[in-house]
Amino acid sequence: MTRVYNRRPDFIARSIMSAAAFVKEATLCEEHARYAGFLQSLDPRAKAITFLALLVTVAFLEQAALIGLVYCACLVLAWASKISPGYFLIRTWVFIPLFTLGIVIPAMFSFVTPGAALAAFDIWGVRFVITRPGFDGAVLLVARVAASVSLAVLLSLTTRHAELLKVLRIFGVPQVFVLTVTMCYRYLYLFATLVENIFTAIRSRVGVMPQRRAGRRVVAWNIANTWSRTTKISEEVYLAMLSRGYTGEPRLLAGFQLRLRDLVWALAVFVWCAGLLYLERR
Amino acid sequence: MNDIVFELQDVKYSYQKKYPALCGIDMTIRQGEKIAIIGANGTGKSTLLHMLDGLVFPDQGRITAFGQELSEAALADEAAAWKFRSRVGFVFQSADIQLFCPSVREDIVFGPLQLGVAANEVARRLAEVARVLDVGHLLDRVPQQLSIGEKRRVAIASVLAIDPEVYIFDEPTAGLDPLTVRHIIDLVVQANRRGKTIITAIHDLHIVGELADTVYVFGKDKKLARSGPVEQVLSDRAFLEAQNLVHIHGHIHEGREHVHPHLAFERHA
Repeated sequence: MTRVYNRRPDFIARSIMSAAAFVKEATLCEEHARYAGFLQSLDPRAKAITFLALLVTVAFLEQAALIGLVYCACLVLAWASKISPGYFLIRTWVFIPLFTLGIVIPAMFSFVTPGAALAAFDIWGVRFVITRPGFDGAVLLVARVAASVSLAVLLSLTTRHAELLKVLRIFGVPQVFVLTVTMCYRYLYLFATLVENIFTAIRSRVGVMPQRRAGRRVVAWNIANTWSRTTKISEEVYLAMLSRGYTGEPRLLAGFQLRLRDLVWALAVFVWCAGLLYLERR
Repeated sequence: MNDIVFELQDVKYSYQKKYPALCGIDMTIRQGEKIAIIGANGTGKSTLLHMLDGLVFPDQGRITAFGQELSEAALADEAAAWKFRSRVGFVFQSADIQLFCPSVREDIVFGPLQLGVAANEVARRLAEVARVLDVGHLLDRVPQQLSIGEKRRVAIASVLAIDPEVYIFDEPTAGLDPLTVRHIIDLVVQANRRGKTIITAIHDLHIVGELADTVYVFGKDKKLARSGPVEQVLSDRAFLEAQNLVHIHGHIHEGREHVHPHLAFERHA
C-alpha cells in the first residue's frame, strides 16, 4: 500500500505540474509578438541579423558609456514596440543579478583584482578594498550583460517563436533541422498536457501524490509511460507527414517578405554598429 | 474496370507479425463511391484506412490503387509517391497528430507544398479551404490553442488543400458538438457530389446513412462480416447486435420510459 507523507504534501506533483505549466505557458507566450509595434513590423530575418550584429558589437565594446547607448536604444525600441517599460525592465533585470553578482562582487575587491583603492571598509576586523580596475570591470560586465540580455529579450518578445526558428535557415541550418526543432516545440505543449493529465488522474484517485520511495516509483513509471507514448506519437506524426507527401526533404512556407522599411532598418543598425566600434577604437 | 480506385484481395496484416489486425479482406472501392466502415473497437478499421493511404502494407494478399499495385516498393519511387499522395487524402483520427506545424496556415499548405503545387495555386487553395471551413481567422494561431472542433476543421482543411480524388476519414465526428458534426457531414456530402470518393470509418450509426451509400462491417475476427447498402445492413438488428454495434438500453420519451435496442434510423414511437 502506498504510504503518504503529509510533511511535504504533494511536493513531487507540485514540482511536475509547475514545470508542465511553465512549458505550456512558454510555448503559448506570444502576446507581445502580436502587438502592432515597430519591431513586430520588421521582417524576422532583418531583425535577427541586426540584433546579432548589435550583440557582437556589444561584446567588442569596452567603454561602459557606449554600451549604455545600446541599452538606451533597447529601452526606446521596447517603447516603440508597445512593450510596457515595467514589464521589460523586470524581464531583463531579474536575470542580470543572477548571472553577474556571483562574478562581479568578488572581482571588485583587491584580493581578486589588484589596483588603486576606490573605497575600503572593515567587516569583523577584515579590511575589504574595492579597487578602481575591479569597479570599472564590474561596471563594464554589468553593462554588457544588461545590454545583451535586453537585446535577446527584445528579439524573443517581438518575434513569434516559430518565425524565430525559421530564421535559422538564413544561417545555413538545414530545412529538415528547422522542421524538426519546430515540431519538437509544437509537441512540447502536448506532452506537458499529457504529464498534467497523468498527475491529475493520480491525485483524483489517491488525493495527494505519494512521497519519497513510492513517489519516485510513480514518477519513474510515468516517465517510462510518457516515453512510450512519445515514441508512438512520433511514429504517427511521421505517418501523417508521409500521408501529405513528405519524402524526406521538407518544403516549408517561406512567408517572409523584405520591404524597404527592413532594408532601411538594417542599414541604420549596421551604420550605428560601425560608428560605435569607431568611437571605441578612437 | 477503369473506375476501380482500390481493390483488395485476401489482404492480411498483423502488428509485429504477432497481433492480427486484418485477416483476409476482399474489397473493391469504385470512383465516386461513398462508403462507411463500421465495426466494434479493435476490428481493424484504422489499420485498413492506413493501408488504403499507403502507410502500412499487407503481409499477405494484394492491394491495388488506381490500377497499380500499392506496395512499399511502388511508393519508394518519388514520382509514384507524389502521384498517389496527390490523389488520396487521409484525415487522421487525432487532429493533434495531423497538425504538426507551428501554425494553422503552415499546416494547411504543408501538403500542397510537399506535392510541388505552384506557390500561387497554394495561396488560392489556402484562401478557398479557409473560406469553406471557416478557419480564416485561425490561420496565424498555433494548433494547440484551438478547440477540438477547430482542430478537426483545420485537419480536414489540410487534406482539402491537397484536393485529392479520394478522401479517407478516420472517425471524423468523434467527440464533436452537433453543429460541427453537421458541418463535417455537409462537407463530406458536397465533396462526394463533386465526384470525390469518400471512405469513412465511424462508430456513430446515426450518421452513417448520410456519410455513406455502402457500408462494410468488420467483425471481431478481423474479417469483413458483411457489406451492402446502408439501410439493408443497418436494418438487420440481430446481425448488428452480434457485432456489438447496437445495445439495448432504456429511454425516456415524452415522459414515458421504455427499453429497446438502439438502432440507426429507428424513430421512437
